[in-house]
Amino acid sequence: MGYKCPSCGKIWPDTMDLARHVFGTGDQAHKDWVNSKGLNFIELLLIQTMEPGNKGYKALAELLEKEAEKVD
Amino acid sequence: MMKKYSVINTPIHNIDGIAKITGRAEYAFDIKLPHMLYGKILRSPYPHAKILKINTKKAEGLTGVKAVVTGKDTLGIKQGIWRRFKELCDEEILARSKVRYIGEPVAAVAAVDEDTAEEALDLIEVEYESLPGVFGPLEAIKQGAPQLHEHAERNINVTRHIEWGDVDEGFKKADHVREDWFRCSSQHHVCMETHNAVASFTPDKKLTVWTSTQSHYYIQVLLSWVLGLRENDVRVISRYTGGGFGSKFELDSAQFCSSLLSMKLFKPVKIILTREEEFMATKRRTPMFYYLRTGVKKDGTFLAKEGRVFTEGGAYTSMGATALYLTGFFQAFPYVWPSYRYDGYRVYTNTAPTSAMRGFGAPQATFCAETQIDLIANDLGIDPIKIRRKNAMYPGYEVPGQATIQSCGLSQCLDKIEKWIKSQGKLPPNRGIGIAAYGFMSGGIFNWFDTPYAFSSAVIQVKIDGKVDLYIGSQDMGQGSNTTMTMICAEELGVQVEDIRLHMGDTESCPVDLGAWGSRETLMQGNAVKMAAAKAKQQIIEYAAAKLSPNIVYDLDIKDRWVHLIARPERGLSYYDVVKEAIRGKDGQPIIARGHYTPHRKGMISPAYSFGVQAVDAEVDPDTGKITLKNCVTAHDCGQVINPLGVKGQLEGAMAMAAGYGFTEDLPMDEGKILNPNLVDYKVLRATEMPETKVIEVETYEPEGPFGAKEAGEGLTNPTAGALGNAVFHATGLSIKNLPITPEKVLEALKEKKKEEKK
Amino acid sequence: MEKQLLRITVNNEYHELYVKPKRLLVEVLRDELELTGTKRGCNTGACCACTVLLNGVTVKSCSILAMQADGTEVTTVEGLAEGGKLSPIQRSFLDHGAYQCGFCTSGMLISATALINEKPSPTKKQIKEAIHGNICRCTGYNSIIRAIKAVAEGKYKEEE
Ligand code: FES
Ligand code: FES
Ligand SMILES: [Zn+2]
Repeated sequence: MGYKCPSCGKIWPDTMDLARHVFGTGDQAHKDWVNSKGLNFIELLLIQTMEPGNKGYKALAELLEKEAEKVD
Repeated sequence: MMKKYSVINTPIHNIDGIAKITGRAEYAFDIKLPHMLYGKILRSPYPHAKILKINTKKAEGLTGVKAVVTGKDTLGIKQGIWRRFKELCDEEILARSKVRYIGEPVAAVAAVDEDTAEEALDLIEVEYESLPGVFGPLEAIKQGAPQLHEHAERNINVTRHIEWGDVDEGFKKADHVREDWFRCSSQHHVCMETHNAVASFTPDKKLTVWTSTQSHYYIQVLLSWVLGLRENDVRVISRYTGGGFGSKFELDSAQFCSSLLSMKLFKPVKIILTREEEFMATKRRTPMFYYLRTGVKKDGTFLAKEGRVFTEGGAYTSMGATALYLTGFFQAFPYVWPSYRYDGYRVYTNTAPTSAMRGFGAPQATFCAETQIDLIANDLGIDPIKIRRKNAMYPGYEVPGQATIQSCGLSQCLDKIEKWIKSQGKLPPNRGIGIAAYGFMSGGIFNWFDTPYAFSSAVIQVKIDGKVDLYIGSQDMGQGSNTTMTMICAEELGVQVEDIRLHMGDTESCPVDLGAWGSRETLMQGNAVKMAAAKAKQQIIEYAAAKLSPNIVYDLDIKDRWVHLIARPERGLSYYDVVKEAIRGKDGQPIIARGHYTPHRKGMISPAYSFGVQAVDAEVDPDTGKITLKNCVTAHDCGQVINPLGVKGQLEGAMAMAAGYGFTEDLPMDEGKILNPNLVDYKVLRATEMPETKVIEVETYEPEGPFGAKEAGEGLTNPTAGALGNAVFHATGLSIKNLPITPEKVLEALKEKKKEEKK
Repeated sequence: MEKQLLRITVNNEYHELYVKPKRLLVEVLRDELELTGTKRGCNTGACCACTVLLNGVTVKSCSILAMQADGTEVTTVEGLAEGGKLSPIQRSFLDHGAYQCGFCTSGMLISATALINEKPSPTKKQIKEAIHGNICRCTGYNSIIRAIKAVAEGKYKEEE
């Protein structure tokens, strides 16, 4: 079981790991994907850092839960 | 019984010692070739500006000037050491259209002598259009701030996230939660040999560069890339390097500009950076703004930690991306954290690029972490040693998803330091002892450089008289790796140090090694050397076995030039005799062997970790705020010590540099301009300021290291600023979270404290 | 500018050469006489890497003109060992590992030599003060202090 990165196709065990990958890679392709889904990549990063509680990653993981393809 | 080791763990003279103390060691700084020209570099006076036009006519017309180059004469390649990531390759070295920091190179001149070249710089006319600049990461990340690079929205260069365990749950369970903010300052490497290079391009399209570097391999690859030459048509020679500390493994302006000029002129060109250029434009330690939130149980057990950092990147990526990762990783060192979350941002600013410097982000992390631990211990009324012991890493501990700790002597280090502190008895007023614990890596396993080679390699040739030619790719910049490798080779092969002749510092004859950074040489190059020596030994032993014809169940070994049966050491043959016959027996071929090392499946960071605890005893003058260091005692686990003289030197040197970071060194700036670019105003520690130093070795055996050895030199830069800060805390009750801890800051804090007390 | 005649004895060898009046002593030593053992760390008199002995007294060779040394005797690091025999200070530096990258070492050795010549048994404080101007970024100085102390204590008396 895993989730496929909608941008580059890499597979991750859960959406939290996938969110980390999307942020960690952070290249234009990954940024564009996030922005195209109505979230703002940079704002998510800033929320993550400026506020406690892992909020940026959680928001992205939620989005990925809906959007990312599940694979076996 | 034979001694376990005949070479290792004996204090041996540095093999370059005679050359260095007689003035014969030839640094690139000293190279002079026939018909050599001298180069100088014109640098931007603006922190942020467009280059509209450069007119070099007048400069070219000056008598004695041979050539002027600008960005137009380059291939315009944006280079960087993180070659695997295109966006992180962002530095042209000779800017074509835009400058992003004061000191960025825009043109270079070659002339018959330095004075003429200097004069020509004044004649180059550069038309700039000044742009608004941004100088701190917290401003640069704001919406609407001036943007340095087109690709980097909000100036965000790199981000990093590390997480394990359930941090939110951890905080819920905590009895005590602390939040603290820290500012870690910059620091300059101040190598005594400034960056320099002599480049010589010949009509056969081959380029030779003598330079002061920590990695001739990196410089070879990067130069060939930006100059459009074949990798092995570039030869880099670096026999001696006058200090590195992290500043000399990226391509620098001396190397690039001298090469460009030489390619234009087919003559050797030498460029030596002045001390001022060195300060302004050769990278520096990364300043960091840290937020730490930590949750613990009443008894001091660590539960959760959240770390966030903004680092001042300066104008380019350099090695700063690595510093951003390592500071996050080492923020959780050397303790067991059930849950941990780290977010780091590296932000571009219009300041000199920040990069690697001894400790690589870990000294910053350790300063913040260790300061906060003492504050927590104080909040809870727990002894600083006890709280550290309770949470200390131990052998076999796994940092979730990151690393496995094999050898770890941290608890023993704590015991030794506790004993030393007790032996000091009661201290006079205004004196305090502070401690800090740390750990560090023994070479990084990451390959952002994208080398296709093994991380370290070595080649050995044994000649007819038993002399051993050892070829290594690692670089000695003063840390003593030449001696360490020679000792490892001698020990494994069973000969003495005098039997080895070392070849290093030349891409033409040496196998590839990634160079001297991240404390990699002892473990990685050491393993490669050991492997090559073991293979050479095997060949010698085969001949000896045939001659001695022992019972087949017996094993042979060589020790101190004696090839013998392990079980019956008196039965043996002279190493020299066996070598002679072995070479004859091989149809006249010398004995040749190769070794290599690349870490596989060793986690995310490093194959092995060093540990230690340092105690700093300091006095604070309440009238002036001046800090005087009295004693510095370090208990230190670097696995098996290879060269005790070398380890002690590393320790004292690291301490001096790290103490400077703690209370004297800083790079204050005004709108991107460094205000103290000289050795008078930039305060490195002097002999008169050094405290007594004492080293307590805690020996462990590291299964991954050669003879059980691991890192011993860089990690020692980690604890001092924190230990010093804690000493000030225990002496005065003041916790200063803003480096460096200068007399002004101490006085200011004292005033504050008095005000508080009055209320 | 007209070159001037410089008469100088360096490491017991007499030289006559024509130099520009603006030339620094360190430049003449390194570039003309090819004695590159003497280093430059700053060129502004702030690091002592360029220290040499001028008539037995330490000077920063980046801070005086070559012509100011006209008629003098200069000793550089290359002149410390005689006939292949290391001086006591040099031997002690070796034994104590009192150098790492080696770039400050020439200046250190000269400062130490001057101290021992002047005060054969200095205190630790005097040793520290004698090398206060010499910057070493590698060693943290203590090995250098130990090396000088050992010489001061007579551990490196010339063997017969
Ligand atoms: S080079 Fe002369 S004092 Fe620094
Ligand atoms: S040994 Fe490197 S500066 Fe002193
Ligand atoms: Zn992806």
